[in-house]
Amino acid sequence: MNDPTPASPKTSCGSGCSCASAPNDEGNSTRRSVIKGLGATLGVAAYAKALAPLTELTKETSMDEFLQKHYKELSKEEIATVIARLTRETKEKYGADVTISDPKPQEGVKFGYALNLSICNGCRKCAEACHLENNHDRASHQSYIRVFEMSKGSMDFEKGNVHYDHPVPQPDKYYMPVQCQQCEHPPCVDVCPVEATWKENDGIVVVDYNWCIGCRYCEAACPYHARRFNWQKPQIPAAEVNPDQGYLSNRIRPQGVMEKCTFCLHRTRNGRLPACLEACPTGARVFGDLNDPNSEVRYVLENKRVFVLKEELGLKPQFFYFFDE
Amino acid sequence: MSDPAVSPSKPVPEWRQYLRFAWNAFSQSVEGGWKFYVWMTLLTAIFLVGANAWALQVRDGMAVTAMSDHVSWGLYIANFTFLVGLAAGGVMMVIPAYLYHDEKMHDIVIIGELLAIAAIIMSIMFVVCDLGRPDRFWHMMPGLGKFNFPVSMLTWDVIVLNGYLLINVHICGYLLYKRFRSQPPVAKMYVPAVFLSIVWAISIHTVTAFLYCGLGGRPFWNTALLAPRFLASAFVSGPAFIIVAIQIIRWQTGRMFGEGAIRTLVAIIRITILISLLMVASEVFVEFYTGGSHTGAAKYLYFGLHGHNELVPWIWTALAFTITAVILFMQPKVNRRPLILNTACLLAFVGLWIEKGMGMIIPAFVPSTLHEIVEYRPSLTEWKITAGIWALGFMIYTLLLKVTINIHSRKLKDTSGVRTVAPDDALAMGDGSGFV
Amino acid sequence: MSLLLKKHPALAWIALVVFASLCSLAVVWAQKNHAPAPAAPVAPNEPKPKPHPVTIKPGPATPRLDTGLKDPTGQPITAACSTCHSTTTPNVARNSAHDLFQAHRGLDYAHGSLTCLSCHNAKDYDTLHLADGRGVAFPDVMTLCAQCHGTAMRDYLHGSHGGMNGHWNLAQGPRVRNNCVNCHDPHHPKFPLVRPVLPPRDRISVPTGH
Repeated sequence: MNDPTPASPKTSCGSGCSCASAPNDEGNSTRRSVIKGLGATLGVAAYAKALAPLTELTKETSMDEFLQKHYKELSKEEIATVIARLTRETKEKYGADVTISDPKPQEGVKFGYALNLSICNGCRKCAEACHLENNHDRASHQSYIRVFEMSKGSMDFEKGNVHYDHPVPQPDKYYMPVQCQQCEHPPCVDVCPVEATWKENDGIVVVDYNWCIGCRYCEAACPYHARRFNWQKPQIPAAEVNPDQGYLSNRIRPQGVMEKCTFCLHRTRNGRLPACLEACPTGARVFGDLNDPNSEVRYVLENKRVFVLKEELGLKPQFFYFFDE
Repeated sequence: MSDPAVSPSKPVPEWRQYLRFAWNAFSQSVEGGWKFYVWMTLLTAIFLVGANAWALQVRDGMAVTAMSDHVSWGLYIANFTFLVGLAAGGVMMVIPAYLYHDEKMHDIVIIGELLAIAAIIMSIMFVVCDLGRPDRFWHMMPGLGKFNFPVSMLTWDVIVLNGYLLINVHICGYLLYKRFRSQPPVAKMYVPAVFLSIVWAISIHTVTAFLYCGLGGRPFWNTALLAPRFLASAFVSGPAFIIVAIQIIRWQTGRMFGEGAIRTLVAIIRITILISLLMVASEVFVEFYTGGSHTGAAKYLYFGLHGHNELVPWIWTALAFTITAVILFMQPKVNRRPLILNTACLLAFVGLWIEKGMGMIIPAFVPSTLHEIVEYRPSLTEWKITAGIWALGFMIYTLLLKVTINIHSRKLKDTSGVRTVAPDDALAMGDGSGFV
Repeated sequence: MSLLLKKHPALAWIALVVFASLCSLAVVWAQKNHAPAPAAPVAPNEPKPKPHPVTIKPGPATPRLDTGLKDPTGQPITAACSTCHSTTTPNVARNSAHDLFQAHRGLDYAHGSLTCLSCHNAKDYDTLHLADGRGVAFPDVMTLCAQCHGTAMRDYLHGSHGGMNGHWNLAQGPRVRNNCVNCHDPHHPKFPLVRPVLPPRDRISVPTGH
């Protein structure tokens, strides 16, 4: 701002700027231009060097992926093309042969999940099954389920602990697995700026992993700590990749996007039980169609002492907890 | 460059004149003495360090930050929040100048508006750096992608931030252009925008507060006081920055101006900083007097929780700074003693940066929604990127101020017909309405 | 401000209109968002496909005692319960684990106040018996359990007790369900303590001991 360069008093303009180029200033001006040119070249080179890591990304992200449309706007053929590309990329990046399907919600079905707190013993087999089924990053022990060891006589999570590492169940404790509650009014869906997450007709809240921009607003909005972010590219040995994959569920997620529990929709939309339920050694988990009055989950809702987590928030979870003692 | 087709009888279209002005302004703004080049080189170097850190973050994933699924927003969003406030605070120059016809503010109102431009650009950059997939930025663009308006408050924020940027670019650009052309500005071309910018300044910070306070799952944010609190603190940090900026400009240009404006700004800060502090106090009262699980975040912030106290030094530093600033601002001699004034401004600025940044964003995540405690301390990458964006912000502000000073001191002007701006410059072929 | 409004009264109107439209926008959205979800279409009473079966894993086969001896081909020699018990008189006095000897020494036994002969059939040790004395084969043990554990059985029959595998929708596939004794040791039905698997890891993993 302040300008110590010798001024040419004749020019109305202050010195130091190019407009002050009176003829007698020519040599000075040329030298300045050269220095400036040099500076600019160095600057551009420095910028290129600084941003060089970005060029390595082109290997990770193809142009097709970059230009891919939102899931809901893809035609059947386009989905097939995308799935073929993803299958190929999984082979290239993970060395695994996988089958990616895109099952749609079943007509008239609305999924509900109930969990029996009287018999859950806190073994975390459900979290492990989730980890394996959903192709989670191995090193981080990622899972959509967190199991809390709670003090009997208290519903306060502040007295809970997820890092317990002793034989379970402890006599003065009960165990509370928490995963996505598939809210009727999901705040995560409301806050997403790009509609990358939405609630499907069967009640499952899904994420389009190829549309999410990774702002993590949904993670801030979720009161159940149900959402997970891919802080880096998930690492899974080829032999451990679950090849039965769903486009909206357990296919290996890209880096930098959100993911969440989908009630294993690649299984449940084909009539199968979720992986966490099958893994439960105590039978604490009950899954079914809330619209079917004869379903197991409806029996629980009508005959047990049922509650939902943080009911006061008014989000109407479709995940229920119950006691039978 | 002089186009024979453009004869004096057929005036150059206004938009081309404007582009000429913009180019002139830009090319002149990067000219300067050695101090200027040292300053800009330093900022460029810091910016490049940040740019490199960001490139690595994009390549390797956000794992290079210290954020986690528990603390999913960190230093970036903290800075974003503060900078939106800074941008809104810039408008505190406009209100006295245009609403109350405070003539001494008129001259320097542009300093606040330029600050708003720089701060908004910085805040947008902080959001971009927080994205896991910046390559998918286009998904947010209305028309191209899917814009979840009006449900997502983030889309509101995108609108108000970009709108505020445009409004301020228009006002500053228009006023400078007119002065450059030596024409008096036409009121209807910019006065409506000025009034709009006042409402808009309030809206950017209100919407930013609504981003947070509408989340039922985060009790620390879930308070109706958040937006007023944001505004009150914005009207401290903005004026505080401008007071220091005015003095630096005076020192650098040797021109004495803005003494009355500084007095007005100090008077504003004296009120707003007390309101801001009062709001913090009432938040603290409600939190601790009520007690219960929802107090966990406040406990963690001020005293540490279950042996975790990462944020305690931050918030007490912020409080100490702010309270010291209050005491200094209340001194009658603050207007006569630049040292006291600048110390007070700096303390208030840094204090609020902490309080509204780390002190506002992080505790909402600790303890988590399920009361787990996972702490957060920004990683080196985050500090690098943060420094880089601040450096870029200072660069932008420096260049904008330089253009403004050049134009206002008539160092840079459209000298119709006289080829001093640049040889063969089409601007020089202008309509000749200049009165210099 | 008043000065301004005197000069441009239209400004106040513009502000009002903008505010009102924003409010109505918000209200419209809130309505849209919180209106009761449309009832899911109920499937018409079309003939349902024949459901797939629910298989309950059978209980253990009739137990045999490993004598510890090997036959000439190297196969272990086992003996039916009745081999010994047919020649002895049942001793109803022996009712706790430490009273037992020979083949039953060290049996971990904790099942309420039941005695051995509450379930084992003194008339035919290769079977069990119900409360009314009728015999029941080992694989059908659930009938026996259900006599006391009526609520558990009721829940079991409604699918809300006991682990399972397969399909929630029997129209699409079969289901296999656990038998009582797949999970509960009949001599010690309370679940044993187990070591939890897959400890969660956070970025900064803090084992909060609070």
